[in-house]
Amino acid sequence: MVEVGDRIIGYSTDTGVRNKGASGGLVTAVLAAALEKGLVEEVVVLKHISEYEAVPIITSDVNEVLASAGSMHTVPVNLAKYAVGKNVAMPGKACDIRGVIEQAKRNEVDIDNAYLIGLNCGGTMYPVQTQEMLINMYEIDPEDVTGENIEKGNLIFRTRSGEEKGISIDELEEAGYGRRESCRYCDVKIPVNADLACGNWGVIGELSGNATFCEVMNEKGVRLLENAIEAGFIEIQPASDKAIAIREKVNNVMLSMSEKWSEKIFTEIPDGERTRYYMEQFADCIDCGACKEVCPACTCGEDSKCTMYHNLEDNYRMSMFHMVRLMHLSDSCIGCGQCTDVCPADIPVTTIFRRFAEKSQKKYNYKAGMTLERPPFLEVMPR
Amino acid sequence: MTENKQWEPKIVAFCCNWCSYGGADTAGMGRFQQPASLRIIRVMCSGRIDPLHVFNAFLEGADAVLVTGCHLGDCHYVNGNYKTQVRYDFMEDMVLELGLEPERLHLSWISASEGEKFANFVREVTEQVRKLGPSPLKPEGVN
Amino acid sequence: MKEMIYQTICPGCGVGCGLFIRENDEGKLSIDHMKSSPVNLGKLCRFGMKLPHYYAKANNAVNMTDGSAVDAETAIKAAVEILKDADTDSVALLSVGNTSNEEQMAFTKLAETLGTVVQTGIQKMCMPEPGTLAEIEKAKKIVLFVDPYVQYPLIVRRLLAAKKNGAHIISVGTNPLNLADETLDLKPEQYGELELDSESLIIADVHPNSDAGILKSVKSLAKGTGAGIQFMKPFMNSNGAALLANKDGNMMGLAELMEDIELGNIRTLVTLDSDPVELMPDAEAAIEALKNLDKLIVIGSVNGPAAEMADVVIATDPVYSKAGTFLNVEDSLQENSGTGKAGVDALSLLNAGIGGKTFTHDEMNYLVMKTIGSRETGTAQCKGSEIELSLVEIPEDMYELRYLYNPFMWSDREDDNDFVLLNRNTVKKLGLKKGGCVNLKGEMGELKMRFRVEAIPDGLVLTAKKLPIAKGVSTAISMEVC
Repeated sequence: MVEVGDRIIGYSTDTGVRNKGASGGLVTAVLAAALEKGLVEEVVVLKHISEYEAVPIITSDVNEVLASAGSMHTVPVNLAKYAVGKNVAMPGKACDIRGVIEQAKRNEVDIDNAYLIGLNCGGTMYPVQTQEMLINMYEIDPEDVTGENIEKGNLIFRTRSGEEKGISIDELEEAGYGRRESCRYCDVKIPVNADLACGNWGVIGELSGNATFCEVMNEKGVRLLENAIEAGFIEIQPASDKAIAIREKVNNVMLSMSEKWSEKIFTEIPDGERTRYYMEQFADCIDCGACKEVCPACTCGEDSKCTMYHNLEDNYRMSMFHMVRLMHLSDSCIGCGQCTDVCPADIPVTTIFRRFAEKSQKKYNYKAGMTLERPPFLEVMPR
Repeated sequence: MTENKQWEPKIVAFCCNWCSYGGADTAGMGRFQQPASLRIIRVMCSGRIDPLHVFNAFLEGADAVLVTGCHLGDCHYVNGNYKTQVRYDFMEDMVLELGLEPERLHLSWISASEGEKFANFVREVTEQVRKLGPSPLKPEGVN
Repeated sequence: MKEMIYQTICPGCGVGCGLFIRENDEGKLSIDHMKSSPVNLGKLCRFGMKLPHYYAKANNAVNMTDGSAVDAETAIKAAVEILKDADTDSVALLSVGNTSNEEQMAFTKLAETLGTVVQTGIQKMCMPEPGTLAEIEKAKKIVLFVDPYVQYPLIVRRLLAAKKNGAHIISVGTNPLNLADETLDLKPEQYGELELDSESLIIADVHPNSDAGILKSVKSLAKGTGAGIQFMKPFMNSNGAALLANKDGNMMGLAELMEDIELGNIRTLVTLDSDPVELMPDAEAAIEALKNLDKLIVIGSVNGPAAEMADVVIATDPVYSKAGTFLNVEDSLQENSGTGKAGVDALSLLNAGIGGKTFTHDEMNYLVMKTIGSRETGTAQCKGSEIELSLVEIPEDMYELRYLYNPFMWSDREDDNDFVLLNRNTVKKLGLKKGGCVNLKGEMGELKMRFRVEAIPDGLVLTAKKLPIAKGVSTAISMEVC
């Protein structure tokens, strides 16, 4: 039987799911089993609209779960808020899971009833920019693409004719394409904060491309896997030492890439210039409030400190809205990048928040969204 | 604002009802010279001071903000000032990252009897801030 | 009820931002960002973020006759009776572009059966071919006749990108914009000072209250200097409405139309998602004018002041759940995923009732596509007079209350932008205190407003909202501290 800490290689027993889902369809099968066997009432998945667009749905229909199979690197959405108030199972990148944990810290998500299947993530991309990149860098018609994958630092696209073309992520990012900025410096690639940490890193040999490496992180992870095995949805085998080592190696390569980007992006702004820098960054804000609306760490709802103490008629050098959010996120920002994505004035909101959060969270050796054991820092008593 | 009039720093002090407000009072009764630039805001407990109050003070034109309360262990509400301490640490980091000089935000525990300490504290901060000049967050049109 | 997700377009302005509207199992609406939408990359402005409020059930139109709720069939029958009795010469149809191409086409069919045309509230004029919004980023010099932050917020990022690429941005107006390098309060005869060339781009907007004189000067400025021109539009389907309205009719401006109603030349008005009370700068005067009508038929999805005084209201589906297509300011075609066809179906029954043919949504869609496919390029012949709005004389000791922004998006919608803009001198002179309010006094009465300090010229009071004391774009008022 499965135990916490186990590292396994698994795949779906259903050939249809195995072929359709990425890497053997393990995650899809585990989700379907959780729904089928009543472990959860609903599942949060991405409903495909096109190769470049998908929208999160909360469903109890197994067919919709099966249809959602496959990774979507060009749908940079955060799923955390869809788990609120529900008994769900949900797949997610590390930042999705971090969002759920921050929601759980604020009693929005009942973590015992939320099953989190983490997916290794090397980064996501913008759909419109990716289509541009396909034309300019890959010379592929975006409409012809049938799948994408990140392998050994290369971004690979598969076309209808079955051809594959890969270009190194470094090269793409030099040209201004590639991953979203927040993904480039993200330092959680394997979602160890989830119940199961799944991905294709470490799947070698003949199973390569047809199975998923999965680490069982906690008791809920055990339940998810055992449930799927009992239902006959998946088959598993222990991961070899070599597989474990390779997964670790891939992770380390990704993390060192992140570190380089981090140094490049977070160049120190001299003391005398920072105030002006931040004021200028926020000066084009049109007060749409989207950055707060999408924030997975925010649970305040419509009436919150940042909105209620912010008046459009104040002509402050920086708005109260941003001041309060900067404070709030210095202990809670998970760096998911959603706020930058939705900013209509293209303010690099995430990067600004990270400048504040990085310092505070490092000082207290605290990383938001990683474990429920430590509450939001501003809420605690000093030790 | 007339050009020839010397600029005086505006300082906002948040004082708790039970200790530091008493300290400010004692300072007044003891006739310790205090700068005219001080504005005191009385709160029941320093634990009531939300970071947003402090940042609002800066945005309204304060050149420095003082957070004051009872000595640790003496809080009228048992542990309010410990909470102040936690928030203050975050505020301090944020003020630094925002690029404001560290001299513009201070925390001090002052009891009701420490009038002289209060007066000296305010005077020192005023001197430091006078050297720094007006806060970069001060809105246009505010002295 | 199952959760529903609609792929749709924001009805706030002509930019045509794509988004998803999610209706959860309890019927509550929320927004999902559609990051694959090329127009907006999933980004939305203040109005877009508030769409769940805009679409709230309480704002939805309901079928009505003489002020009481009825079923759709009864409302349509009542409308048929009215149109049958009406004299063709005194019927007017108005649709400014707040609905789908298909409903617009159906409305045109109705107009044909009635022997009249669909008015779009904008005089016929030669309009340049629309460029793409992405072209903004490439311009070397940009002249703004709009306030992008408030009117068309989704072009802000384009302008900032242009600036990063080295563009020089000039705002023509009174309100200093953060992204502009210069703000110049120029009269049309001074436009030469802008020194434009073929690498310059002019951004202006066209709406029913546009000053025809300024529009004319802007167009001749572009023509004379070779500069490009991008006209923004305030309604989600302004371009569709203009394209699908009958070509050769006598197109009137909204002000002319209202004048005809006041004079009694128009006795029956049929509107399609267009509320003259919300559209006209002076709401009171518009209500008075509409009272002169014998009959008012309102067809639309949103409840508004005109619907409240209408003889018949025919409710259509809210924009997000409609089936249909839309043309944005770039003339790019966008499509809803919704399936609501109540609007076209009602128009079909109306048309049949007065002796025309019935039609379906799919037929309308076919005609729309055909029209779009065969659309003429090049500038149309310009007919009709262009009247200039008269400027109000402001007495020495009074202030000018100026309606700064295009009013449509926020018309009657709850928001926290209910304040006026004043400059520091005015604040000092009146002795206003921060957080306090200012009392505005005009012929139409008094109003207490909050205020914001901004570096605008003396003697000017700007408002983003249509205020009840405003008589038009410009009103003379006096002010005191309250």
